[in-house]
Amino acid sequence: MNESSQAAREIWGPSQKLSERVSRLREEYADIESRKYFRNELIPFSNGKGWDTVWSPSEWGVVPELFQFQPAFLETLPLAAKTVELPGDFWDKPLILRAAIFFREVVSTYIPVRILDGELIVGGHFNAVLSRSLNKKESRHWRKLTKKWIKLMGELNSSGMGNAGATPGHLIPDYPRALRFGLDGLISYFEGLKENAASKSHLDFLEALVISCEGAKAFSKRYSKEAEKLASSCTDERRRQELGEIARICEKTPGKPAETFHEALQSLWFLHMLVMTQESYPGPGLSFGRIDQYLFPYYKKDLEEGKLTREWAKELLECFWIKPNYAYDFMHRVGRTRGITSGYGQLVTLGGHGPNGEDVSNELTWLMLEVIEEMNLLEPKPNVRIHKNTPPKLILRLAGMVSSAQGSPFILNFDEKSEAGLKWEGLPEEDVWDYAPVGCLENTLQGNDRSGTVDVNINLAKAVELTLFNGKDAASGKRLGPRTGDPKRFADWNDFKEAFEEQLKSLISKLVSLYNISDGLRSKYEPTPYLSALVRGCAESGRDVTNAGPEHNYVTMEGVAFATAADSLAAIKKLVYEDKTVSMAELTRAIRENFEGNEKLRRLLLNKAPKYGNDDDYADEVARYLSRFWTQEAFKHQTPTGRRYRGGYLSWNYWVAYAPFTSATPDGRHRGTFLSNGVCPVNGTDRNGPTAVAKSVGKLGLETAPSGDSHTISFNPSLLKGEEKIEKFAFYIKAYGEVGGTALQINVIDPETLKEAQRKPVEYSNLLVRVTGYNAYFTTLGKEVQDEIIARESHGF
Amino acid sequence: MKSSPENLTDSEFEGALKGLIFNIQRFSIEDGPGIRSTVFMKGCSLRCPWCQNPEGLKKKQEIMWFETRCIAALECVRVCAQDALRLEPSGMLIDRGRCDGCGKCAEACPTGAIELVGRYYLPEEVLSEVVRDSAFYENSGGGITVSGGEPLVQHHFVKEFLRLCKENRLHTALDTSGGYEVEALEEVLPFVDIVLLDVKVSDPEKHLEWTGIPLELVTKNLKTISEFGKPVWIRTPIIPGYTDAEENIEGILRFVSSLDNVQRYDLLAFNNTCASKYKRLSMEWKLEGKPLLEHSKMESLARKAISCGAKNVHWSGMTKS
Repeated sequence: MNESSQAAREIWGPSQKLSERVSRLREEYADIESRKYFRNELIPFSNGKGWDTVWSPSEWGVVPELFQFQPAFLETLPLAAKTVELPGDFWDKPLILRAAIFFREVVSTYIPVRILDGELIVGGHFNAVLSRSLNKKESRHWRKLTKKWIKLMGELNSSGMGNAGATPGHLIPDYPRALRFGLDGLISYFEGLKENAASKSHLDFLEALVISCEGAKAFSKRYSKEAEKLASSCTDERRRQELGEIARICEKTPGKPAETFHEALQSLWFLHMLVMTQESYPGPGLSFGRIDQYLFPYYKKDLEEGKLTREWAKELLECFWIKPNYAYDFMHRVGRTRGITSGYGQLVTLGGHGPNGEDVSNELTWLMLEVIEEMNLLEPKPNVRIHKNTPPKLILRLAGMVSSAQGSPFILNFDEKSEAGLKWEGLPEEDVWDYAPVGCLENTLQGNDRSGTVDVNINLAKAVELTLFNGKDAASGKRLGPRTGDPKRFADWNDFKEAFEEQLKSLISKLVSLYNISDGLRSKYEPTPYLSALVRGCAESGRDVTNAGPEHNYVTMEGVAFATAADSLAAIKKLVYEDKTVSMAELTRAIRENFEGNEKLRRLLLNKAPKYGNDDDYADEVARYLSRFWTQEAFKHQTPTGRRYRGGYLSWNYWVAYAPFTSATPDGRHRGTFLSNGVCPVNGTDRNGPTAVAKSVGKLGLETAPSGDSHTISFNPSLLKGEEKIEKFAFYIKAYGEVGGTALQINVIDPETLKEAQRKPVEYSNLLVRVTGYNAYFTTLGKEVQDEIIARESHGF
Repeated sequence: MKSSPENLTDSEFEGALKGLIFNIQRFSIEDGPGIRSTVFMKGCSLRCPWCQNPEGLKKKQEIMWFETRCIAALECVRVCAQDALRLEPSGMLIDRGRCDGCGKCAEACPTGAIELVGRYYLPEEVLSEVVRDSAFYENSGGGITVSGGEPLVQHHFVKEFLRLCKENRLHTALDTSGGYEVEALEEVLPFVDIVLLDVKVSDPEKHLEWTGIPLELVTKNLKTISEFGKPVWIRTPIIPGYTDAEENIEGILRFVSSLDNVQRYDLLAFNNTCASKYKRLSMEWKLEGKPLLEHSKMESLARKAISCGAKNVHWSGMTKS
């Protein structure tokens, strides 16, 4: 064996222990090129009217890399769409009923039904875009608002200030309730509510929920028929029996309550996949919540009654595990190196505690960890909740998995810190123990909370640039912020700070205005009644999930370039105003000229100014000030629909996208060099090791950024070699929960392996690494992001 | 607690008990139980040719020059009162005889290409640094390790610092070469929870030749540790051509494994990443270019140690491939 393939073998990949069935299903999924008989590619469905639209640009507002494709989507998708035949009185009905009927027709008749060879959990096609069902007048208004949004979005995005758009997904539907009562149970609950509905619009809304649920029931019955059909022509006895069981289950659930583990998994998948169809969105952030908790009773009962073995439960789970990955077929044609092709984030949450702080990890938690380890898949992305009573052996198991899978297969979510934030934002104290993250690591309640967790993204470093240039863009000279004065005339740090705060407030307001357009547009014209049926609060309030119907409603503003901005402020405070070793005139000149001809100053800023991430109280104090200032400022705002803005640090890929649109910065960064991501320190500036960086993050007082913060750390594999070191690493994780932030993701890889993977992508196709809040197959990332990760690992501990 | 360093006058600071420290390393996971912070004391009584921390040898402040960081701003040359620096195309020429370690060059350098190695600390200052990681010590059963150099060279300071650590309920480890006066060890031991003792060479003549101190001193110190009843982990650096013979391990374990307080035996594989540090200190390194050991070599030495009756044998460090 030659050296390189030996190296490739050490990379985490699918286990040899997978059953023949699962192994084949996994390979089939991964190889989209040869999987010609089934691809879950986008299918557009239209009402056939000339004004119809199936694509809503503002839903994709936070994916600016798709902007170039938007006009094409808007125009070509309706042309390529299948026309759905609708009842004669369709256009006489209010929009909410039209939306429900359109959904029902598509899923009960049009969307193809496909059962893959050997699979035990069925439900194939779900990537679709549905007509918005607007009449001509509504459509005209929709286009007007969309145009307005596109214009402002273009301005803010192209100047590197940020982006915003009301994004689908990113919530946890109340799946446990639907499993327990069946859709029939929900329907009779909605019918019951009709008796007390005070208005016609509330009655219509409840009727729309009923219609949507009926659509979902009809959909599952189509699968039952398909399974029967396949069974009748199946010559393999074992498979014939399996198909028979699938037919029985699909006939029953999700209409009726699930009673067995297999029924619960099948029902869950149907319920979930149809949300993606309903939202015309391939699932980003649509999350399962605490799956090891609500599936456990089914598992336990079946085991006790002798209906299920642990092995069969695992086989079922592994079949289930593959399904969410098919969302990635959506963007297949756009190319495999777009960031979006790795970050759909259909999260499952494992572990955590109960109402009294007691640990609730169970046998299913452990079984699912085994599934995760053996499958080596992107989805569903697991987050493991850790708290002060998590059993040491569970943490040790997690530490072991981290050390042997380069970009750990899960994110660690820390309960005490996460819950502190949710309490701070005003969620009921008695409910927050049952929280779960969505998307990557954005904390929400389950089943009743839409917190728009990626909907607004703010480039904090841009506010530094605008302060240095009196509200103007450094490159174009265009006015982007208020006139806060020429910084050369500022007397002291306080003057600078005041100006900075003005710029930041203005930036926040601009993004709020942008978001409010899309929120208004969506709440008025883009209802999703099927999803509303699965979210508590909607039926009761008579308001759709897109219109602040859930019991809890927030919009999350995610801070981008946090450490870049914090280090910039620290450098100005220390070197300009305290040490007076740098003059403001020299600094602004150098920044305007991107440090050309003044490398000495740039190095000075890099080396002599305090840096966040080192447990250095000076730098960390400035960082804390920045974090608490902007998050509390954001919290003052609300959408017209009544959703409050809250802070968070996910920062997705914008630290790459906004790098060229952000001037050089006073921390010594050139224009174009990537900005910092999440709450991570600027690459290479944290030099005191993993304990110090944990402390710096913890000192921020992150409860004012309650959505949660993305913190990635990198370890050289040699540091986690051997039992003893893995045990110490487990203790590190435990202590992180006391002193650090809300969520931690870990890369365990050396730069040499990554460079090797760039050279030999085929051999390293299984290599998963952590980016920002999500993991991705390294070789499918764009070259820029690959290089960035290599740079990051070179500074790893 | 004593007054903090910030409210000491210059002359009080001058007169106070201070330690010369060249690094405080957090998240130390190879210097005793749990997660620890290791305080590296500058100055050593030994002169082993394989030394991994040449910056810990001299008990005085000195400067290091990092070629890759230098942009020839020449601020260092400008501020040097001793006229000890000259930048040549071949690199920075540092007249070590003239340099008095004042550190002005390091302060003036905009790029961090010159670093001052060694800083004087009050015991309270070091304490306030190391308690930052208390949560990590508590969760992992870790604590503080005092290492070097040879920490006992600065035994007055080390004793006071360790006393403070114990006052603050921190677990303490002393990482010593055993190559210093027994009296110094006796002064420090009451405040030490566990000792990490290097026993490098079993042949007395070679020991003296290579390390510069008699083996007898090490064994005497080991005996003292036993008399104090302190647990000890014995560590042997495995250096190709010096300490990597099976007979050496056998010889070491002959007088070590009979002691009750020896809890563990570690074999530490030779590592060559310190070569650049020698260069930065304008020092020659005898072992420059020596290859790493084979993985199988370390495995077989560990097996040898077990067969000689060593309890709890571990090996760590870099090996080939």
